[in-house]
Amino acid sequence: MRAVLIHALGRLRTRPGRALLAAGGIFAAAAMLGAGTTVAYSLATGFDRAADAADLADVVARFEPLSLSSVQARTHALPNVESVSFRLELAGTHIHIGERWNGHAKLQGVRDGRRGYAIVAGRDLSGAPLEIVVERGLAREWGLGPGSFLEAGLTVFRVVGVAVTPDTVAFPLANGPRLYAPYETVRELAGAAPGTVNLALLWASDPARLDVTLAQARAASFGVEQLRFVTRDGIETLLGQAAGIVIALLVAFSLVALATAGLMLAASSAAEVQRRLSAIGLLRTVGASPRQVTAAYALEAALVAAPAGALGLAAGTLLVTGPSTRLLEALNELSPGASLLAPLALCLVGIVSVVAGAAALPTWRAASRPALASLAGADLVGTSRRSPLPAGTLGLGLRLAVSRPLRTAGTAIVLASSVSVILLMLALASLLGRLQSDPETVGKRYRIEVSAPPAVANELRRLPGVAGAQPRFEVQVADSFSLGQSFSVIAFGGEHTRYEAPPLVAGRRIRSDDEVEVGVGLADALSLSPGSTLAVLVPSGRELRFRVAGTVSALQDEGRVAYVRPARLLAAEPFLSSTIAVLLDPGASREAVEGEILQAGYYPAPVRGATVRDRGFLRVLAALLQTVALVNGLVCLYVLVQMLALTAQERRRALGIVRALGGSRWQVTRLLAGGALAVAALASVGGFALQRFVVAPAAADLAASYVSLPLQASAMQALLVAAALVVLAFAASTWVARGVAREPVVRALSAE
Amino acid sequence: MHARGVVKTFGSGRASRRVLDGVDLDVPPGELLALVGRSGSGKSTLLHLLGGLDRADSGTIEVAGVTLTGESEATLTRLRRRSVGFVFQSFHLLPELDGLENVLLPARLAGGNGTSRARRLISELELDEASRRLPDTLSGGEQQRLAIARALVNDPRLVLADEPTGNLDAESAAVVLRLLRGIADEGRAVVLVTHDREAASIADRVLELREGRLAA
Repeated sequence: MRAVLIHALGRLRTRPGRALLAAGGIFAAAAMLGAGTTVAYSLATGFDRAADAADLADVVARFEPLSLSSVQARTHALPNVESVSFRLELAGTHIHIGERWNGHAKLQGVRDGRRGYAIVAGRDLSGAPLEIVVERGLAREWGLGPGSFLEAGLTVFRVVGVAVTPDTVAFPLANGPRLYAPYETVRELAGAAPGTVNLALLWASDPARLDVTLAQARAASFGVEQLRFVTRDGIETLLGQAAGIVIALLVAFSLVALATAGLMLAASSAAEVQRRLSAIGLLRTVGASPRQVTAAYALEAALVAAPAGALGLAAGTLLVTGPSTRLLEALNELSPGASLLAPLALCLVGIVSVVAGAAALPTWRAASRPALASLAGADLVGTSRRSPLPAGTLGLGLRLAVSRPLRTAGTAIVLASSVSVILLMLALASLLGRLQSDPETVGKRYRIEVSAPPAVANELRRLPGVAGAQPRFEVQVADSFSLGQSFSVIAFGGEHTRYEAPPLVAGRRIRSDDEVEVGVGLADALSLSPGSTLAVLVPSGRELRFRVAGTVSALQDEGRVAYVRPARLLAAEPFLSSTIAVLLDPGASREAVEGEILQAGYYPAPVRGATVRDRGFLRVLAALLQTVALVNGLVCLYVLVQMLALTAQERRRALGIVRALGGSRWQVTRLLAGGALAVAALASVGGFALQRFVVAPAAADLAASYVSLPLQASAMQALLVAAALVVLAFAASTWVARGVAREPVVRALSAE
Repeated sequence: MHARGVVKTFGSGRASRRVLDGVDLDVPPGELLALVGRSGSGKSTLLHLLGGLDRADSGTIEVAGVTLTGESEATLTRLRRRSVGFVFQSFHLLPELDGLENVLLPARLAGGNGTSRARRLISELELDEASRRLPDTLSGGEQQRLAIARALVNDPRLVLADEPTGNLDAESAAVVLRLLRGIADEGRAVVLVTHDREAASIADRVLELREGRLAA
């Protein structure tokens, strides 16, 4: 064994160029894997890390201002409560510093007790009246830090600390930042009576039995108005939905990278073994066992893979640390720090194992053959088969590719995976674009919304270009069974499906005033199905009960919406404000109709798919997707170049013959392109099918299980990607042919 | 084909070895010239230089009216395609192509069809059966005859054969040598590299490469 090992290690010393080439491939693959792992792990564990660091409350209850004693009497009676902190929150506080200002800040007056936020810079409040802790998003956006001054509600505070609270996304994704100041200061700002609070943070003794606590809280809530609960699980779900699609994409990307690396390493190992057949035969002839030869070659490969893999992982991690930290900050989560080392170490073990395995398998096959056959340098892949393919330069390249069917299929599979991910990016980008501009994407068929009383609808219907106009009512209500969910109830003056028609998932449309259609998000949260009862508590405090007629796939508010007829809603809430939804005639110009409405004396607004806040997050997502798509395109190029470089390396003599017989560099390029185009064609078709039937449904489900997102790529997008692959195939062929042409023909002809 | 003062050195510094040291050579159309010499004497190197597969360090080589010295790779490629036919010791047939496709390869690289000429050559060389099969199912003699047909498919003016009988049995070798003789008799210049004195016996002229120079 020692002699075989010395032989293997000797090769590393005598052929440093080849070792470096192999190390370069491993480095690139490891860098891709490191990048994917870093972002995926950071996002997947970010919430728990931040929630633990912040000691995030299990339940956050918001309600109309009440005296502390009144609320305490209720919370003390609750079971399973470990501790409670009370606050007074001023929503819509104006803050400014210099020319920057925001009118949506949430200023919380903090009393004694557990905080529920993590200080990431500076210190916590000391009790001094004009100190303030600001959330990290605001600190970053406005350049604040300990020692800065900030005016909030016409009072100048000194910033003493920066905090992270992972109960929602960070400013500016959230429209207003969170600020923490001493309770008495905030109370005075609000002009509230001493002891007034409107927010309670509850920590449960046993978080698994939180449902019992919430049920009791609901029972004890008589007299508490506008009570809304948000649980830690609910927050995690919301943030998880936001990050879910990114994680899914990055996991897919990492798998593509790993498959790419594995395939290429396996192919280059097989080629290397083929070159070393006579050496293997010699070792076998002098008495080395197949196991010894295999172990030595695997060890040699591992010695190259370990440092190259470690460096690649480090490079990939460093590359994405910045963007991933920014994404975590946007989600109000914390970076993984040293805990990232564990998954990266696992990746390194995986890389070394793949490389060693890729070297061991062909070596074992070669070493297990009769020593004489290896000494003679017999081909490992057997004889060629007769092929009906054309025999021109493109066709010859195709035949060279077909002569390595496993590699060609493997490369096509890896490329198809990349293609499917790229198609998903394109489909997502186009969906994000439509979400921002096309209301139809979220099921809205009306194009204009007019702020006017319901009676104006008749007047608007008579305007040219208007196909219909109906008052639209929307109100935030609470589920009166659990009070753990707040959601929107929407009603139209007429048939709502004419104006807003989210696809029906189960049951049927509403037919009477007692029925409701619920979004899948709401149905999931409250375990509703056709036939069950939805009880809602409207702002006036009255309860309405509806029978669920059907569930619909709605994007608005993550599917936590309900559609009813307006009669009972208006009876319970007579002064409910409304807008008028305006349907356009087919072909009518929205701008022209808006002009008519303006002339009639009303203010129209175009209907968009997503809310302003959604659009901010969509932009962040789109930017990330663009980066991943670019890297993925480079992966495709890398895969094609690797495949062609291997072909050129293995078939040096064949290419030498073609050149000796008068083949030009362009003809060598065409020959190589033959194989690359075959793989690109297979990958285009396979990638389109994979995206359409596997990746898109899975990503849509991961991203938003409450709605059917149309993430299937269009035929035009598939054609675009296929055309890009053709360009990449020619680029890779040109690149590799350049290297082939540099080698003297004579040397290529003498290659074994 | 004319060569004057051709020099070729391999390696550099103390390890350098001058393989060809001022070679002068003329091969007129219709002549079959045999180059003999010991292993490593530079026979194949000279053949590669004559065929534009490699470049001389100094000296001039002219093939079919084209001076190779200092010409671009594209010019050398055109020359190989149109004016030179190669026959190698190890045949160098592409395993993915059947016999006919291998013969047609130079014609296709030249942008022509060549099928009728290829079929005629195949028929003349009695390779009808072999032309439909893949190289690894053929005997050495059949493979070398296919290689000769391939060398002739573009009707070159110079045919360079590097140890064409080195991998063949005596009977097949005799057939191949007869073919090369016939090619020269058709009016082409043929240079045959061999270390086999018997093979050299079919040549019009035999030159020995010794210490980098040619001697009769």
